[in-house]
Amino acid sequence: MRRYIVRQLVQFVVVVVGISMLSFAILHVIGDPVLLLLPQNAGREEFERYRRLLGLDQPLPVQYWKFVSRAVTGDFGKSWYGDVPAFPLVLERMPPTIYLTFAGLGVALAIALPLGILSALRRHSFVDNLCTALAVAGQAMPIFWLGIMLIILFAVRLRILPASGYGTWQHFVMPAFTLGAFLAPITMRLVRSGLIEVLNQEYIKTARAKGLGERLVVVKHAFRNVCIPVITVLGLQFGQLLGGAIVTETVFAWPGVATLTVESIRNQDFPVVQCAVVLLALIIVAVNLCVDVIVGFVDPRIRVRA
Amino acid sequence: MGRSRLAMLLLLALVLVLPAAPVAQTKDDTLVYALQSDVDSWDPPNSVLREAIILGYHVFDHLAVRDLKTGRVAPHLATSWKALDDTTWEVKLRKGVRFHDGHPFTAAAVKATFDRVLNPENKLTARGNHAKIKSVEIVNDHTVRFRTDGPYPLFVERMTAQVMQSDKIIKEKGHQWMQENPIGTGPYKLVKWSRKQEHLLVRNDDYWGAKPAFKHVRIRIIPEMATQIAELISGGVDVIKAVPPDQMDVIDKSGRARTSTSPILRTAMLQLDQAGRSGKNPFQDVRVRRAANLAADMDAIIKHVLNGLGDRTATGVNPMAFGFDASLKPYRQDLAQARKLLADAGFPNGVDVRFRTGLQIVEPGVLQTNEVIVADLAKAGIRAQQNHMGEVGPYVAQVKEGKAGPMFNWSWGYYSVFDADAILYDVFKCNEAYSYYCNKELDDLIISGRSTLDPKKRTDIYVKAQKLLFDDAAYIYKWGLRGVWGISSRVDYTAPRDEIDRMFIVTPRKK
Repeated sequence: MRRYIVRQLVQFVVVVVGISMLSFAILHVIGDPVLLLLPQNAGREEFERYRRLLGLDQPLPVQYWKFVSRAVTGDFGKSWYGDVPAFPLVLERMPPTIYLTFAGLGVALAIALPLGILSALRRHSFVDNLCTALAVAGQAMPIFWLGIMLIILFAVRLRILPASGYGTWQHFVMPAFTLGAFLAPITMRLVRSGLIEVLNQEYIKTARAKGLGERLVVVKHAFRNVCIPVITVLGLQFGQLLGGAIVTETVFAWPGVATLTVESIRNQDFPVVQCAVVLLALIIVAVNLCVDVIVGFVDPRIRVRA
Repeated sequence: MGRSRLAMLLLLALVLVLPAAPVAQTKDDTLVYALQSDVDSWDPPNSVLREAIILGYHVFDHLAVRDLKTGRVAPHLATSWKALDDTTWEVKLRKGVRFHDGHPFTAAAVKATFDRVLNPENKLTARGNHAKIKSVEIVNDHTVRFRTDGPYPLFVERMTAQVMQSDKIIKEKGHQWMQENPIGTGPYKLVKWSRKQEHLLVRNDDYWGAKPAFKHVRIRIIPEMATQIAELISGGVDVIKAVPPDQMDVIDKSGRARTSTSPILRTAMLQLDQAGRSGKNPFQDVRVRRAANLAADMDAIIKHVLNGLGDRTATGVNPMAFGFDASLKPYRQDLAQARKLLADAGFPNGVDVRFRTGLQIVEPGVLQTNEVIVADLAKAGIRAQQNHMGEVGPYVAQVKEGKAGPMFNWSWGYYSVFDADAILYDVFKCNEAYSYYCNKELDDLIISGRSTLDPKKRTDIYVKAQKLLFDDAAYIYKWGLRGVWGISSRVDYTAPRDEIDRMFIVTPRKK
């Protein structure tokens, strides 16, 4: 296990360095941030002064090295807008995104597990076909559209939920459902096919032959084995979920890190983008690490092998 | 046991980290205003964003402000001003005004404010607005003199663009503190700022001017326009701005809100590369530029594509700007004449040009109007190939670097200075970053227009300049834009022509 974790950590460093280099390069390609920072009528010498001030007049490798050497100490520099240190700025916006992502995950599981199990048990029945149709519809629906439709229905027509914002549990309902609906279809299909496969195995026959109730067979014997691929895929989908969070946050005016990142890219606010990218990469890698540990917990074979 | 304990812990963790309920205010005494993006700082001279100007108006005061009824600059913290000579302005200040912390507003505050902005070491972005001011002198507690570098006719306009900050705060608290703690003399005080989420303001009950009707103002950041409209209709927000023309019906038919439009100080054009900044091109010939102006039926576009939300202009000068010549009639569509001019210029079979498009956030409906203009141009033989760029930053950079020619859509907001000079200098003068036009004769007019303080002389100069720009068809002239606001049925508010929303003039609607 220790060797495994060390390997993961090395991988993590490679991933983060790679991502920060890539985002650094891309940011520099898309244009000159000083053009956006200064008013349109600023003079040429003003631009030159700003460029020097921000260190943008130095060669790229030098700029990157300066960034890295400070970043390892947790200093990502100050946002070029408003003179705020980038690290606390990003950190402050992290919790709303994390709540939203987990709430979305919860909704996805709440939808996917029962429906997936039901479809598997009643294969090719009306219920199964209905679930398949729902899954296709759910997968085909853009998050953006679903979000707006929910707002129109629950905020504008029924007036039972706030259209946007952050602060109370009511604010969570629509964003969490929007994000959950995006992840639910794939999870549901996975549960269904996994369960069908497992239910055909010999040990299930044995369990049934022992006279166990169907409920016990499904929940205790079959489902545990279905969990392994589901958890793995959910871990892999986590990055996707953060991507979905960007759109969800925008629609519902959710003050999370995803909108901050997009806005900073737009403003070419390098320090904030770099900081957000590194922290998001850290979260994704950490989640994948957790997934591996959880899978080990669920599946004793992996634990024993390690 | 183990599993249930884990569940309990998770639940507890969730309860602990969930955000607390917001500050208690009642709906009746709170007004809610939405913005698409947040400010980066509460120090207006340190920001280039319009949102910062709008927020600044609520917490700070200016020496002068625009009277929304007449459109003229009117006294505010300054009670009067006059030019003592070509390079000296004397300004008398209002007495008995105090900052939110109780410190009195005097000439020292005016001097400290301008000294801070003008000092290049402070790297404040507002410096460019006031670079013509050389120094500020205190005559007595309520009189200041501004010395300018040459005659400065825009001085009075520019007074509306600088908030007055406290000399005590500048000296004792300093730049860093001022970024998040605005201490002004304005009608509201900042209570709480949750970045990218909302600002909560409370009425300044000691305000020297008219007291606002609402005790609290919440300014919410809602990036998505569709969400803003939903909030407006469901009663979550009272005022929104920049509503797209095609959404007006949704609001007007909701029964819970209405739209209000106002001409705004922004002129839209299709700039042509007469100066040849992007290389040799057909628009360097005046006949081709005239043909382009004669090809498009702008009146029909305003009426049918923009729902009437545009005011046709003969040149780039906006009807609300000082110096605008109302007697100059715009080009009218004449396809036969356009084709003839094109043939005379050596293009009997028409001509192909690249047309750079973008900036749909700045100019709502621009992509739709571009389509119609392209179709009209094609009828005259000018085949424009559209080349779209979605992001504002890179688009502006292309324009600035001279790479956007030979034709691109552009609009100009005058830096909120209601004067012809604010567009002529930046968008029509030789070698300016946003200008793709170069004409020595026009440059002379522009320079003489900013070298005198006499309004009569200046008007004559700008009338000449507009005639020249019209005859030479510098760019394809379109229209002055109109803004659209969404306003909840429970309040009264009139859309402001300077695009600076003022929540302190909003009142509850009389039933």
